[in-house]
Amino acid sequence: MTNSSSAIVIDNIGMVFGSGADAVTALAGVSLEIASNEFFTLLGPSGCGKTTLLRLIAGFEQPTSGSISLYGQRLEGLPPFKRPVNTVFQSYALFPHMTVAQNIAFGLEMQRTSKLETQKIVTQMLELVQLPHLASRLPSQLSGGQQQRVALARALANRPKVLLLDESLSALDAKLRKEMQLELKCLQLETGITFVFVTHDQEEALTMSDRIAVMKHGKLEQIGTPTEIYDFPRTRYVADFIGETNFLTGIAEATGIRLPDQQFLETIHNRKLGSRVDMAVRPERALISREGTGLSAKVREVVYVGTDTVVYLELASEVFRVRMQNSGGATKIVSVGEMVKLQIPADAVRILEPSEALGTHEDNHET
Amino acid sequence: MKHNLGRWAFIAPAGLLILVFMVLPMLLMGLMSWLEPGQFGGVKWGVYTPDSYIKFLFERDFGDNLVLNTDYLSIFSRSFQLAFVTTAITLLVAFPVSFYIALQPPKRRTWLMLLITIPFWTNLLVRTYAWILLLRNGGLIDSSLSGLGLLNSPLNIMYTPLAVQIGLVYAFLPFMVLPIYTSLEKLDWRLLEAAYDLYANRWQTLYRIVLPLSAPGIVAGCILVFVPALGTYFIPELLGGSKTLMIGNLIQQQFGTSRNWSFGAALSFALLAIVLVFMLIYALRFKGKGSLTSS
Repeated sequence: MTNSSSAIVIDNIGMVFGSGADAVTALAGVSLEIASNEFFTLLGPSGCGKTTLLRLIAGFEQPTSGSISLYGQRLEGLPPFKRPVNTVFQSYALFPHMTVAQNIAFGLEMQRTSKLETQKIVTQMLELVQLPHLASRLPSQLSGGQQQRVALARALANRPKVLLLDESLSALDAKLRKEMQLELKCLQLETGITFVFVTHDQEEALTMSDRIAVMKHGKLEQIGTPTEIYDFPRTRYVADFIGETNFLTGIAEATGIRLPDQQFLETIHNRKLGSRVDMAVRPERALISREGTGLSAKVREVVYVGTDTVVYLELASEVFRVRMQNSGGATKIVSVGEMVKLQIPADAVRILEPSEALGTHEDNHET
Repeated sequence: MKHNLGRWAFIAPAGLLILVFMVLPMLLMGLMSWLEPGQFGGVKWGVYTPDSYIKFLFERDFGDNLVLNTDYLSIFSRSFQLAFVTTAITLLVAFPVSFYIALQPPKRRTWLMLLITIPFWTNLLVRTYAWILLLRNGGLIDSSLSGLGLLNSPLNIMYTPLAVQIGLVYAFLPFMVLPIYTSLEKLDWRLLEAAYDLYANRWQTLYRIVLPLSAPGIVAGCILVFVPALGTYFIPELLGGSKTLMIGNLIQQQFGTSRNWSFGAALSFALLAIVLVFMLIYALRFKGKGSLTSS
């Protein structure tokens, strides 16, 4: 499974905090590989184990079981200060008694880099994060965004093989966060360093990542590119966590799924006939019209949100959202209370699997 | 100005207390130190002389010439030595202890800090008497050591500078632990992780991150130990006997048996001046700097 271009190989990592009755399982058998020069994101809600996984790579915690290798080197037992990785902390953790320049120079000093070389790199880093004018300030005199850049510069100054970012943008306001997302991505392309990014923000993950690992309760739900994760969510959990989704349930028939209200949705599936099937449909993939073929649904609400108009339908006594782009100005094709036809293309229907460990992708699940 | 009046009303009791029991006595003492001592104690009001301050360094020989007299200076230097060693030892002991306590879970911290403060529940005078029982020949330490065959001759610690030193370290240790613990407790431990992450090993992290950030606590502890240890009175009185005088005992003697109030006041002010000079040096040295090590 290991190949030479892997920066990090995580093999069946388990992590249990505490013992006895108080034991909490943070990670349960997580295996994944992160390629060199990849922007890899660990995505999930708080408590899913993503930060624990990052701390294991950094060396702040020792795993209960399993192993982590970095470019072929096993990391077990190595303290954080002997690992060629650097972290950008959620709280930035800048040293309050040191100036910006001293903060950035700290890692280099600890590695006994010459004074001249250190100075050169510090200047370089300050330019990279566009803060040369703040070199002699103390962290307390900086804004949140500036602190974030210093934290980034401090980590990058050591030219780590892998940069770990722990919710590093979550403390910034929305506008600044968007800017930093793009800057981070550019920086990663420029430096060629492998980035492992932890976030609970799905939009952030989609924007920046080469690949995303979605985590739940200490396990991996799905690994893939942003498009794969968004377009082909494997489970209800992933579909729900990333983007907006409509969920439908029905019974498998030969050419499609029979919904609870006896309407028939044509699609391709590989499930046993008669078994219960969970499906997801992205709101922007469905269409509505007054006439023609399709499922019958009642308009509950029409919401104008600027770029789009969202129509809330009632289908099989569930809410079904349809999102239409307002590319030709505000569209108002339906009104509340009206019965309409809902067209769901066969390839827009995602048949979901129950949440389980990866590797059971092709299995059939019976009820 | 009604608002201001109300504010003054709140400060007034404390201000009055300080004025009557602190500022006025200090002024009185300052005045006394420049007056001629009375024959049986007290001072001769209106008769001004710098003699008390001269007496600190010089004595008059038969020809009424001033000759350097180091008796009092040596008492001062012994006091400084004892106070300095007390500060150093309590710092070395208190820092690891505070560090350990600060690393415990909050509930345990409270308990451990309670243990540190338990000695305060008993009067220090009583506890110092207890040290006599421990240290004297035939006392607990002496008898158990000789009982074990580890000691051939009597211990002979009582009434030596060592006994005073032991007593001082014992008495002032909590005053070092409390401020250091307070500053370590506030320390953001994530900074230690950041230092580890940036290739600093444990000692480098201690020296570059923990010590500078807990410097305010360390300095406060040093002042809280050094200043009272310098002026301490009954610990050398009880454990040091007549041979190990400290400044406090000397001053007490002047107001007591020696009946030289002027000299006692002058000694007090000399001590005060020296302490203030030290504080001034400290204030200038660390002015505007949050760190002991920033270069």
